[in-house]
Amino acid sequence: MPNPGPPTRYTGVAQTFHWIIAGLVVTQFILGWTAVDLPLGMHKLALLARHKSVGMTVLMLAILRLLWRLKHAPPDLPTAMAPVERLLARATHVAFYVLLFAMPITGWMMSSAKNYSVSWFGLFTWPDLIGQNETAFNVLKATHDTLSFVLFGIAVLHVLAALKHHFWNKDDVFVRMLPFTKSERR
Amino acid sequence: MMGRTCLTGRAAVLAAILVVATATHAAGPVPSYTADPAASRLEFAGSQAGAEFKGTFRKFSAAIDFAPDSPASARFDVQIDLNSLDTMDKDRDQTMRGPDIFDIAHYPTAHYVTRSVAKTAAGYSAVGALTLHGVTKDVPIDFQFVSGAQPKIEGTAKLKRLEFGVGQGDWKSTEWVKDEVKVAFSLALKPRS
Repeated sequence: MPNPGPPTRYTGVAQTFHWIIAGLVVTQFILGWTAVDLPLGMHKLALLARHKSVGMTVLMLAILRLLWRLKHAPPDLPTAMAPVERLLARATHVAFYVLLFAMPITGWMMSSAKNYSVSWFGLFTWPDLIGQNETAFNVLKATHDTLSFVLFGIAVLHVLAALKHHFWNKDDVFVRMLPFTKSERR
Repeated sequence: MMGRTCLTGRAAVLAAILVVATATHAAGPVPSYTADPAASRLEFAGSQAGAEFKGTFRKFSAAIDFAPDSPASARFDVQIDLNSLDTMDKDRDQTMRGPDIFDIAHYPTAHYVTRSVAKTAAGYSAVGALTLHGVTKDVPIDFQFVSGAQPKIEGTAKLKRLEFGVGQGDWKSTEWVKDEVKVAFSLALKPRS
């Protein structure tokens, strides 16, 4: 049997994590940015309840994804990429991992600080991370809001970069994260 | 026929008064207390979006007649200032004071007065009338008497908010805010002067 050599594609598990988490994060932007402008009422409560349940799901998936990532090296970046491009790609991916933890954790702490405990789809309630504290809530909310814009910014950058790799550079950077495809272009 | 009914009615009322008077008399003097506000608490717990949230009423007054050996002559009369509610979130407190929930502009207080108290295996139970949001309904409570330098009465109750119309409009739905509300209280008793 030939030596398989370094991986040329992301594993099926990594692809699954990527696309499920991407879908959930888009859901989070819709729920969160819709709820933030509503007055306190049933509609806001319902949207935020879903936002929190999905957020905790993202946190659990992020933990599993990070564990998987530590054991399974991703494929190398194309050799044609300039050092600055490599740095940017690397920084974006690290920022994603940081934010996949920072967003749910700041959100969870916000809920605790405002004395609205986090339920997971009504099945069970997560413990409060901190005690009720209005100042902490305001700081955490500002942080959560700001990070949401940072996340949105790097997500846009990430999508544009994937499209550039696919259509401009014509390499396999995008395709190797796509399930049910084969990487042929290099 | 009319006259007789009327007479029978009067006799019944008279008899009832006599029975009540005799019962009160027979029980002998029962200590009267008020709740020491600094050491007493009245809490509630609701369920919102699948998670429990707790609140307290900071202001309430209680007149309590109670002797451990004669529960039949016990009587609690509790007046609650609904404006004093505190769920540790100003936004939620304001919403709850508003017209769709407690509507404190029209119903600033809640009132609970016991009708009967009985001894149980675990302590005592009482049935009383709770007037909340303009609706009066029976709510049973279970409680314990804790003797000591400052005796206490500690207990719990469960009620359904919608039976009292607490929750109008969107808040009538129980999808995100449950109907059932738990109440827990600890009243530090001090003799009524």
